[in-house]
Amino acid sequence: MQRLALVGVILVLSVVLFSSCNKGGNQQQTKVIGVALLTRGHIFYRDLEEGLMEEAKKNNYELIITSSEFDLGKQIAQIEDFISRKVDAIIICPVDSKGIGPGVRSANRANIPVFTADIAAQEGEVVSHIASDNVAGGRLAGEFLAKALNGKGNIAIINHPAVTSVLDRVQGFRDAIALYPDIKVVADVSGQGVRDRSLQATTDVLQAHPDLAGIFGINDDSALGALDAVQQFKRPGIVIVGYDATPPAVDAIMKETALKADVIQYPVKIGSSTIAMIRDHFAGIPVPPLVPVEVGIVDKAALNTPSSN
Amino acid sequence: MPNHTGSFRSRLSGELGIGVAFILEVLVFSFLSPYFFSADNLLNVTLQASITAIIAVGMTFVILTGGIDLSVGSLVAFAGIVTTSFLKLDAPAEVIFPAALLVGLLVGAGSGALAGVCMTRFNIAPFIVTLALMTIWRGAAFMYTEGRPIWELPEGFSVLGSGRLLGVPNPTIVMIVVFAAAHIVLKYTSFGRHVYAVGGNVEAARISGIDTRRVYVAVYSISGVLSALSGILLASRINSGQPNAGLMYELDVIAAVVVGGTSLNGGRGSVLGTFIGAMLIAVLRNGLNLLNVGSYVQQVVVGIVILLAVMLDQWRRR
Repeated sequence: MQRLALVGVILVLSVVLFSSCNKGGNQQQTKVIGVALLTRGHIFYRDLEEGLMEEAKKNNYELIITSSEFDLGKQIAQIEDFISRKVDAIIICPVDSKGIGPGVRSANRANIPVFTADIAAQEGEVVSHIASDNVAGGRLAGEFLAKALNGKGNIAIINHPAVTSVLDRVQGFRDAIALYPDIKVVADVSGQGVRDRSLQATTDVLQAHPDLAGIFGINDDSALGALDAVQQFKRPGIVIVGYDATPPAVDAIMKETALKADVIQYPVKIGSSTIAMIRDHFAGIPVPPLVPVEVGIVDKAALNTPSSN
Repeated sequence: MPNHTGSFRSRLSGELGIGVAFILEVLVFSFLSPYFFSADNLLNVTLQASITAIIAVGMTFVILTGGIDLSVGSLVAFAGIVTTSFLKLDAPAEVIFPAALLVGLLVGAGSGALAGVCMTRFNIAPFIVTLALMTIWRGAAFMYTEGRPIWELPEGFSVLGSGRLLGVPNPTIVMIVVFAAAHIVLKYTSFGRHVYAVGGNVEAARISGIDTRRVYVAVYSISGVLSALSGILLASRINSGQPNAGLMYELDVIAAVVVGGTSLNGGRGSVLGTFIGAMLIAVLRNGLNLLNVGSYVQQVVVGIVILLAVMLDQWRRR
């Protein structure tokens, strides 16, 4: 394993060296921004990446995009590579809000400005954090579900309690639900944010709670996994609310399945706003430490109204 | 193979020991949750277990030879993606369905055969070969799909994983068939004896005339095909091909095999043990969910159970 790690380090170093040689002197004006994504495996992050790239192209910035696929050690190594490459700014979508601290501080020491998108860092100095207002999103989901259930019934949360953005969503959701004394959260299980695990977790919840009336999925893979379970165990009348409004979820809402509504984030906008903040920072314009990007909630009626987007 | 037959310790090992633990577990959960011991929920547990249990059969073959296969979880995703993208081709259903299934299974077999060849011809350790394949297939799944799920599949596909026959979920039936076939192969065929022989002492096996290379290639191919089969069943259950499906399944599967009493050193174990091991872990997860035990606590409990099971096994062998 050690030798494997050594080979890996040599590879990364050679790639970095090679690309810096390749750059030569002709592109010195172009600002280079290192991007450490959490994953490229979710539609949300693909869209965020698209927003970054679009806006970077407009400003003629060069992006070096990496993804750590939920591996904190890898993400910190990627940040260290950015530092040795002397990039002009770093964007991080942290794997872990606390654990990313050492990576952020290394960049601070090298005087490279750090921006976080979607997920915040709790340690080190970050110029600006650009993210959906997840507490507001959770609240919208809670309000929708409470109204759909006429203010009473047992509900479950298909959770993924490992990242702050999700903790915020659940916080907002529980805040909204708390206003309805006849609604009870009877189960809070982890589907790890992926569809196969969420299907399994929801199946167990359905077994334990024959009277379940509603489900909140903390992202669309969670909500769609819950929908799979509800459909396979033929439990009519359950209302599911999801989060992200990805194409498969929108499709499920339009087909009048148990998934009735989705909180919609604007990941492309998170991406483009992040680059916009960096541009302001480069230009010497002060940027706010927290840039909340609006969220909304869509059901079938809203999706049928063209003006909603 | 255990030679001190009849002693209390050896009887408590393997299938019997794990079987007793399993029955105890079922009793405890029946007592704690009113929803646990119902036909509906028990069928549900077999359905939940089926995906990892089918892969665990292949993993048992591999571990019996003293190897390991880390690529199974990624193969679940990749085979699911290959099959679902085939299903989206514009062709008559009666052609495209069998073709899609076949191609998915072939991907699994090919990956396993490749692993076996890398080990036997280039003398690379199973851990390294399958570690490489694990990241290759996961990366390939992300590359091909660009990180997005493959969905809007033809109508009939979801029946495979979500349908029932006489009330029994289809994946449960597939699981039982796979276990029965594997049990017969390991117990009653010369290939089965060769698997045990290679895992017990590879030099002795070679000297006695067994083509050990073929045995290695065969067991990894079996593991690959069964991973792909699980991947297809899973894709059908979630009615989509997800590049992030099957994340960390390799660990769930290895846990089931080890809890079932198969030795990581090879040569000792059985698919019956693996079956009970897979069920034990599935019942544990299901029971803890029914009791609404939080996800943080669940991870700790599952880890402790794995440790206890292996400790029991080691104690027996001393």
